[in-house]
Amino acid sequence: MLVLVPADTDLDDAAPASPPTPDAARDALGAADALLLKVAAGDQRAFGELYDLIAPRMLGLVRHVLKDHAQSEEVLQEVLLEVWQTATRFDPNKGRAVTWMLTMAHRRAIDRVRSAQSSRDRDVKIGIRDLDREYDQVAERAEIRIEHERVATALNKLTDLQRQAVELAYYGGYSHSEVSTMLGVPMGTVKTRLRDGMIRLREELGVAS
Amino acid sequence: MTHKGEYTDEGFDDAAIDAMSDEEFAEVRTALGLAVPPVSPNPEIKAALLARIAQTPQLAPLESPEADAPRIAPAVSSSDAAVSESRAPGPAERRASARWLQRPAIVLTAAAAAVALFVAGVFAGDVLRGGAPEPDQLASIIAAPDVTTLVSEMAGGGTATLIASESQGLSAMVFDDLTPLEAELAYQLWYITDGVPVPAGLVEVSTDGPTVQVLQGTFEAGTVVGVTVEPASGSEQPTTEPIVAIATA
Repeated sequence: MLVLVPADTDLDDAAPASPPTPDAARDALGAADALLLKVAAGDQRAFGELYDLIAPRMLGLVRHVLKDHAQSEEVLQEVLLEVWQTATRFDPNKGRAVTWMLTMAHRRAIDRVRSAQSSRDRDVKIGIRDLDREYDQVAERAEIRIEHERVATALNKLTDLQRQAVELAYYGGYSHSEVSTMLGVPMGTVKTRLRDGMIRLREELGVAS
Repeated sequence: MTHKGEYTDEGFDDAAIDAMSDEEFAEVRTALGLAVPPVSPNPEIKAALLARIAQTPQLAPLESPEADAPRIAPAVSSSDAAVSESRAPGPAERRASARWLQRPAIVLTAAAAAVALFVAGVFAGDVLRGGAPEPDQLASIIAAPDVTTLVSEMAGGGTATLIASESQGLSAMVFDDLTPLEAELAYQLWYITDGVPVPAGLVEVSTDGPTVQVLQGTFEAGTVVGVTVEPASGSEQPTTEPIVAIATA
């Protein structure tokens, strides 16, 4: 789903227009909306198909935040059971199924990492460059790689402080005050940079608000 | 909306502008999430989840006046299975050995489903520790387009879930809470077709969580899957009353 970026957002922007590559990874996940609606009707086979589609993406994200594989698989199960139970409340008019489900997975991963005692000394290598390293270790389908490159490129358009704040908050699950301490800047600055970073990313990625 | 860098440090209320939860950035967060390399879960997780959802009710839609009232999830192939009280069979029923071959699968009550939900959080890890001798077969069952699940209570407590695929000719049983047996005894699986039981292998009981066991032999629709307690070496014919029997459509 590519959205044309309004011209006025490009005025002070050295970045090129929306990338020419089609959003293949998202297209592949486009079936999730119809499947989730079937799941909402109690269709267990549709749940199986939805699982095949979304579970590897969820586990990738959750494990990236949590690091621990066993814990990540537990969270994956909790999230997918929640998907089953609450599919009846998914509203396709308010957003896409993939967004609805990944939001759940991300929230639960962050809840888990913040509640875990070990969260204070967990690995801080959470940036996009570490994702590059992970990618080097696996042979991925081209459209997934393209999606990754698109986000990596967009992140590189941010200022260092914006990018660090976004990466720590999203991939690391760190709170504003933790990010503030880690980066050695006031909390208000973190919030501002985070928001600026997300606005900039939204423009670069050409996704709807 | 797209003006940048105009904010001051004092300009934000903490709760109002959290970019990590603000609806405004949901699509951006999704893109960040999809940029992470996918990781394939262990096939047992899907099997465990399919067993879970078969006995977990879904929430009522928000528009409904009785929102939050649980709705019983229909089992995929239980349309012809009678919904009965979930209770352990009495002694008379236990003696009625002929009947167990036809005993229908039970659709769990909401209360039982709530219990199932409760243990779901630790389910994945437990299953993984449970030992899975046939991961490839299990994977092909749960990946099959015609996979179906049927839940039944066991005599003496706990639930058994049959996960079967006719196209694959395979089935597996997931036991919630299987009591370990003395060393000289074993749980034995049976495929019963037209009243004739055929041995389908022994169950390797997981001592610290749900047990997943793929059945030996070929699954066919209409077959009854049963479990009995037998000598540890297994039997040619069932020698005790079944603790559970699940009839398939």
